[in-house]
Amino acid sequence: MKVLWRALFALFVAGVVAAAIRVRGRGGVPPQSGGWQELPLHDQN
Amino acid sequence: MRVGVLGVGAVGARAVRQLATSTDPPTVVVADHDPSKVERIAAALAPTVVGVDDLGDVDVVVLATPAPHAPLAEAHLRAGRAVVSVSDDVADVDRLVQLGPLARERGTTLIAGAAFAPGLSGLLARYAAGRFDLVDEIHVAAHGTGGPACARQHHHALAGLALAWQDGMWTERQSGSGRELCWFPDPVGAHDCYRAELADPLLLVPAFPGIGRVSARLSATRRDRVTARLPMLRRPHPEGTLGAVRVEVRGLRASAREVEVLGAIDRPAVAAGAVAAVAVTHVLARDAPVGVFGMADARLDTEGLLAELAFRGVKAARYMGTQALA
Repeated sequence: MKVLWRALFALFVAGVVAAAIRVRGRGGVPPQSGGWQELPLHDQN
Repeated sequence: MRVGVLGVGAVGARAVRQLATSTDPPTVVVADHDPSKVERIAAALAPTVVGVDDLGDVDVVVLATPAPHAPLAEAHLRAGRAVVSVSDDVADVDRLVQLGPLARERGTTLIAGAAFAPGLSGLLARYAAGRFDLVDEIHVAAHGTGGPACARQHHHALAGLALAWQDGMWTERQSGSGRELCWFPDPVGAHDCYRAELADPLLLVPAFPGIGRVSARLSATRRDRVTARLPMLRRPHPEGTLGAVRVEVRGLRASAREVEVLGAIDRPAVAAGAVAAVAVTHVLARDAPVGVFGMADARLDTEGLLAELAFRGVKAARYMGTQALA
């Protein structure tokens, strides 16, 4: 019984750590160069 | 010409405003379950805009209520009216697409997903496709939300099954998976985007027969992903901030594999209203074909529609990489 409680406790701690990492983790590095240009549309108005 | 707009929330109100301020505006009749919204918009834009309890006999109906739109669209198609729907709900868009035989039988038009994404995303995909000899992949990413209904849809989309088209068949993957860093036009910039239950592939696949892959992603924070399967913990905001859409098209040009990336930024509800309005003007000008289709349809005047959107302030851009700095 004690082993079961320890296993459940370990799973709970692992879940809390995984959730914290998922919520607080940082994303990748965005591109550092380049840019956007407006589309050359023919004005129809 | 009379245009009926059903629902004057964040998107519907913008569509009404865009229609009322067009050159040679049609009479716009508006209805909503909240009479105070109808009174406000009718008072601000009279006499072009008229508030009513029932749309009555109109030439085009804009459905801008929260989903579902399919039952309403079916009733209006049966009455011979053209319909423009801004729905972005996958099941609803699927049912709208299935109204094709009815629309053709009645000789009328249903434009499905005439909003931000789907909608503007489809126009950008079609424009980019014009630069290729053969298109084999389209990948859409969207960032931001419009009104409360859009925020609820964003929440729902991250909990469902993401639909994608791969090698001639539909695939369903868990939403919230497949993280990809997508760079939207400035100042929105880079955001992590994930697979999500989005309607774009449903409208892009029929518009590009023979295409190999179509996918759609939604930008989300880790908090969004963790809480997606729970009920919304807070009331959705009345309107989101700046949003963006990005469309990556891959294919062959002069036997070489090339990639085109187009994007646009705006408040999603504002852009969605503008897209719905230009779709309506297209239908009123008898330029739209009969049947059910999305904004990526090859029979639409894509460049004309994008030019009209640019005139209304929704400007599209092309990712030039380092060439833009030269």
